[in-house]
Amino acid sequence: MRSGHFKERYQQLVAVSDNRAAWGWSGLLVVALLLLPLVAGTYPTQLATRVLVLAIGAVGLNLLTGTAGLISIGQAGFMAVGGYTNAILLTEAGWPVEVTLPLSGLAAAVISLVVGIPSLRLKGLYLAITTLAFAFIINHMILYADDITQGNRGIFLPKSTFLGVGLTKGPGLYYLCLALTVVMVLLALNILRSRVGRAWMALRDHDIAAKVMGVNLTVYKLYAFMVSSFYVGLSGALLSLEVRFINVDVYGLLLSIEALAMIILGGLGSVRGALLGAAFLTLLPESIRLVFDAFGSGAQQLFSNYVFQIRELLYGVVIVLVLRFEPGGLNGIWRNTKKYWSNWPLSYG
Amino acid sequence: MFGRMLLAGATALALSGGAALAGDPGVSDTEIKIGDINILSGPAKFVGDGVVLGSKIAAAEINANGGINGRKIVIITEDDGYVPSRSVQALQKLISQDEIFALNGTSGSSNILAMLPIIEEEGLPTVVTTAPNSKVYSENGAPPTVFSIGPGYVTPFYAQVKYIHEHLEPANAKYGLIIQDDDFGDSIEQGYDKAVKEFGLNDAIRIRYKKGQSDFSAEVLNLREAGVNVLVSGAIFGGQASIFKEARKLDLDLQAATVWVGDMPISVKLFGPAGYPYLVADYVVAFTDPAAQAFVENAKKYVGDEALASDRYTYVTYVGLKTLAEAMRRCGQELTRACTVEQLDKMENFDAGGLMAPITFDERNKLAGTAVKIYQFDPTNSGFKTLTEFTDY
Repeated sequence: MRSGHFKERYQQLVAVSDNRAAWGWSGLLVVALLLLPLVAGTYPTQLATRVLVLAIGAVGLNLLTGTAGLISIGQAGFMAVGGYTNAILLTEAGWPVEVTLPLSGLAAAVISLVVGIPSLRLKGLYLAITTLAFAFIINHMILYADDITQGNRGIFLPKSTFLGVGLTKGPGLYYLCLALTVVMVLLALNILRSRVGRAWMALRDHDIAAKVMGVNLTVYKLYAFMVSSFYVGLSGALLSLEVRFINVDVYGLLLSIEALAMIILGGLGSVRGALLGAAFLTLLPESIRLVFDAFGSGAQQLFSNYVFQIRELLYGVVIVLVLRFEPGGLNGIWRNTKKYWSNWPLSYG
Repeated sequence: MFGRMLLAGATALALSGGAALAGDPGVSDTEIKIGDINILSGPAKFVGDGVVLGSKIAAAEINANGGINGRKIVIITEDDGYVPSRSVQALQKLISQDEIFALNGTSGSSNILAMLPIIEEEGLPTVVTTAPNSKVYSENGAPPTVFSIGPGYVTPFYAQVKYIHEHLEPANAKYGLIIQDDDFGDSIEQGYDKAVKEFGLNDAIRIRYKKGQSDFSAEVLNLREAGVNVLVSGAIFGGQASIFKEARKLDLDLQAATVWVGDMPISVKLFGPAGYPYLVADYVVAFTDPAAQAFVENAKKYVGDEALASDRYTYVTYVGLKTLAEAMRRCGQELTRACTVEQLDKMENFDAGGLMAPITFDERNKLAGTAVKIYQFDPTNSGFKTLTEFTDY
């Protein structure tokens, strides 16, 4: 009878997962997601696409804020860099999506050094405000670099394909986002078990102690900014492909706040948490809608008029409740539930 | 035997499927579904509230009078919180889940732009009544199924400056412009520029401010420094109230041209105390106009006292849905999206009940209701004096 999951070898500690069942269930989840467009309607697939787009960004932000402890409210700015790079390369240079997507991530990564280098001596709220200022600066630059970004007028993206598959109609974009999410999640999990990932955790937990142990704070903070921004830039580029029109309003400050809410609610420092947070907050309004639908037309009317007030209210309420009762977020709830059933009937804690 | 039944079943299924495919979505024997995507949360919620009320009044009135060739209008509203990516998500939901026939509410300027690619693919008849944007007019490459009501901001500001220059200009007039640093401000500047060049005005200063700014003391000091006595202002609500308040503190004698929301009750409450007799140019009537009051009285029959909350956004959305409904009515029982667009293209002088100029579209011109009326605020009774009737500039 199991009384716990014990890691007895160093390899188990650094493995992406030492649990075969976890690999099996993850594989099953990917298969289910592959089948989603075939069994669900168009709208659920479109919703799932949005979840995947935001999940990539949330995983990126989680690496920076959750793992490395560097608080950022500049998510919207980095997403805008990715989105505009993608749009400009597609429309002006006529390059294919296969090339523009990685370049969008790279552009955001390079631009992140502009924030990263001056912010090396900052942490906590001071760093948060600096990244917020960065988002404003990016917004300002987009508006004034009219010749490149088309300023206020915004950019319409052309119909695109990826490896010959259309991204405009049908599930093409969904499958692209799914594939990229799987790749980026595996990449994040691997980074976390490497020296880089451990260094990030060390500088999050105690930067002076990390320095004493030989972690080069400058280098690893910049790594954190660049890697995180690559994810976020990629997410911004995918959002531009999904919306097919971009201007500064598409990358509003609300995106930064939502991204932070996703990783806090999901569970700081956990890739699974970022994925759960992105899915939960994106699907929350739809879940509320389903509940209201169950109560008939009167409730539906009320819901139509107050959907976002209710959603915003729920945002706050859910985050407060999670932080009060489960500081580990959705990931903490997942972990505790799993532990309970794995160890049943000898569950504890 | 089983094989024959299977064949018969398959044939029936194919025929019913074929029949369903032949018609456009959103139309049944008893109803027509119209989508409405709007701002129902956040600081700009007041716009969405007015729009939703306009759709509600128009639908209630149409349905009470027998609907459209016997079909009732059903409005399905979605909130986008003024966020373009959410507008797209809402439109995807309205199309794939609710299967709307047409769209009447399109949120803000960036929001309708973000929705355009999908509207084009679906061939969705769309009437844009708020935030008209030059990129949305068909002549600029927008889908031929999109029809806009109301001018952009260029015309109202050109009209106001022209009126001031011709009738109200103070001695040694010095003009000053204050605008937001976005596309909204750019449009206002275009109208101002046009007037400055045409009339050779003394353009003393141009000031841009960040969206969301609430304190304008520095800007007003700059206006005084430049000797401005004619202010062309692109600020709205709290921003404009702050400008007038600061100007009054400095005892500036100003003739002012403002954005069309200046004729809403909330603006009167905010701007009124400063006592400036500001101008407003609008493509719909002010709430004090007899046509607006007649509209409210009529609307009470359908929505009760809720009609009292009507504002300029209510009037224009009401006209938008009535225009769309008229096009659908002309299609008769065989209602399709293509037919609706064709009938909208043929719409000529459709009576807007005095709420705005009559609506006329054609295949090349998908923009109507561009004539503006100029009002002047009267601080003594918090009402508006009509300076010009609806005029095209």
